[in-house]
Amino acid sequence: MRQHSSTWAALVWVLAVSIPLAIHNPYYIHLIETIMIYSILLFGLDIVVGYTGQVSLGHAGLFGIGAYTAGVMFMKLSASVWLVLPCSIAVTAVFGAILALPALRVSGPYLAMVTLAFGTIIQILINEMTFLTEGPLGIKISKPILFGEKLSEREFYWVVCVMLGLALIFVHRVLRSHLGRAFEALKGSPVASDCMGVSVYRYKVYAFVVSAGLAGLAGSLYAYSEQYISPNTYNFELTVLFLLAIIMGGRKTRSGAIIGASIIVMLPKLLDDIELFRWVATTAAVVIAAGAVIGLRKQWTTPKAVVIPVVGTLTLAAFSYQLQNMTDWRLSIFGLMILFVVYYLQDGIVGFISKLGHLGDTDEAQSSVLTSPASQQSTINASNALGGNDPQAMPLGASNPVILSAQSVLMQFGGLKAINDVNLVIKRGEIHGLIGPNGSGKSTMMNVLTGIYQPTAGHIEFNGKTVVGRTSSDIALSGIARTFQNVQLFGDMTVLQNVLVGLHHTFASPLWNVALHASSYVREELEANARAHALLEFVGLGALSEELAHNLPYGKQRLLEIARALALNPELLLLDEPAAGLTAPDIKELISYIRKIRDSGVTVILIEHHMDVVMGICDTVSVLDFGQKIAEGKPSQVQADEKVITAYLGGSTITV
Amino acid sequence: MLKIHQLEAGYGKVHVLHSISLHVPKGQVVTLIGSNGAGKTTTMRSICGMIKPSSGEITLNGRAIHGMESNQIAKLGIAHSPEGRRVFATMSVMDNLLLGAFPRLTGARPKGDVNADLEKAMELFPRLKERRQQLAGTLSGGEQQMLAMARAVMLNPDVILLDEPSMGLAPILVEEVFKIIARLKQEGMTMLLVEQFAAAALNVADYGYVLENGRISVHGPAQQLKNDPAVVASYLGGASSH
Amino acid sequence: MEIFLQLVYSGIALGMIYAVIAFGYQLTFATSDTLNFGQGEALMLGALVGLSLVDTGGMNYWLAIPLVGVFGLFQGALVERVGVRPAIKLKSEFGWIMSTIALGIIFKNVAENIWGRDDLRFPSPLDESPIKLFGANVLPMELLVIGGALLMMVLIEFFNRKTIFGKAVVATFNDREAARLMGINTSIVITFSYALSSMTAAFAGILVAPLTLTGATMGSVLGLKAFAVAIIGGLTSGLGIVVGGILLGVAETTTGFYISTGYKDVPGLVLLLLVLAVRPAGLFGKSAIKKV
Repeated sequence: MRQHSSTWAALVWVLAVSIPLAIHNPYYIHLIETIMIYSILLFGLDIVVGYTGQVSLGHAGLFGIGAYTAGVMFMKLSASVWLVLPCSIAVTAVFGAILALPALRVSGPYLAMVTLAFGTIIQILINEMTFLTEGPLGIKISKPILFGEKLSEREFYWVVCVMLGLALIFVHRVLRSHLGRAFEALKGSPVASDCMGVSVYRYKVYAFVVSAGLAGLAGSLYAYSEQYISPNTYNFELTVLFLLAIIMGGRKTRSGAIIGASIIVMLPKLLDDIELFRWVATTAAVVIAAGAVIGLRKQWTTPKAVVIPVVGTLTLAAFSYQLQNMTDWRLSIFGLMILFVVYYLQDGIVGFISKLGHLGDTDEAQSSVLTSPASQQSTINASNALGGNDPQAMPLGASNPVILSAQSVLMQFGGLKAINDVNLVIKRGEIHGLIGPNGSGKSTMMNVLTGIYQPTAGHIEFNGKTVVGRTSSDIALSGIARTFQNVQLFGDMTVLQNVLVGLHHTFASPLWNVALHASSYVREELEANARAHALLEFVGLGALSEELAHNLPYGKQRLLEIARALALNPELLLLDEPAAGLTAPDIKELISYIRKIRDSGVTVILIEHHMDVVMGICDTVSVLDFGQKIAEGKPSQVQADEKVITAYLGGSTITV
Repeated sequence: MLKIHQLEAGYGKVHVLHSISLHVPKGQVVTLIGSNGAGKTTTMRSICGMIKPSSGEITLNGRAIHGMESNQIAKLGIAHSPEGRRVFATMSVMDNLLLGAFPRLTGARPKGDVNADLEKAMELFPRLKERRQQLAGTLSGGEQQMLAMARAVMLNPDVILLDEPSMGLAPILVEEVFKIIARLKQEGMTMLLVEQFAAAALNVADYGYVLENGRISVHGPAQQLKNDPAVVASYLGGASSH
Repeated sequence: MEIFLQLVYSGIALGMIYAVIAFGYQLTFATSDTLNFGQGEALMLGALVGLSLVDTGGMNYWLAIPLVGVFGLFQGALVERVGVRPAIKLKSEFGWIMSTIALGIIFKNVAENIWGRDDLRFPSPLDESPIKLFGANVLPMELLVIGGALLMMVLIEFFNRKTIFGKAVVATFNDREAARLMGINTSIVITFSYALSSMTAAFAGILVAPLTLTGATMGSVLGLKAFAVAIIGGLTSGLGIVVGGILLGVAETTTGFYISTGYKDVPGLVLLLLVLAVRPAGLFGKSAIKKV
């Protein structure tokens, strides 16, 4: 169902456009207009909440900024709608950036609190800055003048329809592009995202600013729609309603946003009409009770799981008969709905329906409409897949036999010297093993080389350029790629999409090129898809390109990580325990891939505990113990080295 | 006393242990050795309840404990000195030791004489005696290891699990730690010792199991294993027979 | 100068209230990596329940305090059971954020319906005439607030240091898994820390109620500003939150007087934004660096 969610949304849109032809009651027209306006905002909020996975409690504030920009421009400047709408978008986007730049360095509850503070400040400012906003008195606005005539209710409705349609297309295209993949990646694994060249911070900011722009558009349309705006609308409750709409409708879907918008607009109306509410509550209770009985009979669920929804809805229905008026309890109902959705309906209504329909395709599983089908890829040889004949693959300083040199590296955590004065020289084109007992500093070294930790002291140079002081995404883009000891895939994305994130660096199209599907962007997307398929073929995952990454068996997940790292077109590949948890045949496969990778011109550093692997393919092996290098040389030399044996087994009572 | 039978365990998709069986008889020190990634810590975590095995059994004196919560297992008398020490850093040495006796102080285990046991612990670990009020986070690695072991002893347990006590310690401290383990053995304490350093472990243990890639490759009386080339091979690859 | 000092005294009293709420955040975050977005509502409920006991029920204020405290314990345990524990099981950060927000909204709505939407007057248990301290006026109630808040924090410190259960709580916050290995039931510790956290908030509520307008909306912004104080204070520093709270309280009372009452909430909120921009996440102690 999600696969077709945008199609559903489009159908709903067509329906919405035709409504005023059938229904003439301005009350209903206004209602649907409000739903559409909220939907625009929710498309934006979904990018932040659904895609990047952050809770924003400040979107009512952004909505208010959009509305008040429109109001102030109308009142003070008598500006025309052609100027007001873009200005609202721009001003709100700027505020979004002002908030995002400091705020998005944090996440989770901190971000929620920060955005809440922001929203509260905005409300206070709107209330207090009476010279600009008329404060609590509010601003009166009339419908925009278009082509010399003031728009009627119906005509403005169609303007809103057009805006909704444009927003729908815009959001749809952005989310299907490399930008959308970047947003999802940073939620899936921030550390992997950074190491694939997608700077988590930067893309969180982009996502937030885009959502702010959409909120601004919605706000200005709202101002024209209501014809009167006042500060107390844009409060905490509205922001919570927006969140409820997203999670109840269903995250990461356009139709979910529209369903959510409908619910939060209709719900207060429903609650005002106590008769209607009683009827709805009773029906809901009956439906859920019936569902529970069926579920228990067919053993889909347990008594413990259903007792709360059943008892809850029955109590609610009973309660509704006791009261004369539900309006006062509106907020409690919202609160209960949030609780219900958070625990029982995590995928929202859209998710629930798609599960029922057993239509397994999710929005993510639908790859970009621009993909060339995998079957058209003929067998790609290794060097082609790895961009070996790509002229840009010739690195600067390729004549330099040393690709990476680390000198006197010190990594200290408090009192602990995890890496203590280590020198490491990696020769171009070799497979260099890094081994050592637990806690010897191998993984720390990896993290230092990829910018996850900044070394306390020492120099590290890659192709002559220093690595120290640079961010992970910067280092990744300069040619060092890695895999992780604990697999860090973007689990909710498909295999193909995971590799496409690695190819993010091949995209140069700015936002408007994406939205307009400019030919340069289309070409980039096609090329990236072709490269991605080739890389997947190389590691033998070609047939699984549409599978969700977390569904892959463990061995294949590790191979996918390698394919994704190769997408960065690196000169140096760092493999962190690639054989861990693999079965013997998988390990054989892995070894052959590593050899092929080296043969295509990529230098490899390999951390491993499987000594057979290390001894089998490494040209040089360095041994760390207690953060220091204790031995280095050919595998056979190192294996027989007394110091190494002692480091691993301790003491000399075990004879070789 | 402590038996593991055909244990399979792992983390999510990663299947680490494949049908492990081992036995720790009362009053003996049994050691589980092997190189990194072999599954030693996974085994320990399965015993103390930190991870739930996917199949197989773990029993203490015949009573099944696999799948139980860590705090319940502790109350049954299995004490754990965890990998990486994991002392309570902002609390004093004394407080750490008292917490080791938590089940005794709260009625879950027979109380006995906690104060006497504290004094005894101080005797066994003289370094801790000098530092009773010092914050555990400021102790050196070796001292923290002592504290972790003393904390385990404070439970008055039936079995002590020692998880990589030598990790990160300088050789001279490793010696000290193993001297203490030998002393505990003299007192009749039943122990399961997981170690990377095969030499020291096999010196102090009665019986040994070698873990390799999640399976027991070799086992036998510790004295025998000490001279077995298969042990070195399991760490550094089969190429010791070049 | 006299006015300024008076504002300082009020600011300190207000600041201690922030510190107490912040203390509650620290408590739950330390033991469970979660916090209650409805913490402000816990304060509000304490104040209103106290009002009902004292005003309607005619109970002695001093007797009402422990009862309100007990109410807070139950309210906190409820929040943990319904809102936090399921989310922890699901490992969903989004889950507990949204559910504690939802519970906060529900509590506020219920309060509105029981006590009405208007702000109410809480009768002061102490003499309402100000005392002169260093030449400036301070209300006896303000002194009570400062004293009460400090006393409560001292008592909790005592509990943490001297009793074995308190030590178990501190152990849980140090290392949850290791605490379990000691036989400590960390689930109960977490429930307890939520109960304690709401108790302190409720206590703060009944303390501050006579000084300010008591109503269903009194909690919301308080909770937000207290969060800033909690971040400044850091994880283990009780002193830090007291200092932070006082700074914020004084900043607010002076802004409210010298600039405008409408803007009095702004320093706190701006402080929150600044603190998070300059020292993000690190102040709460738990390292953001994931081991990969």
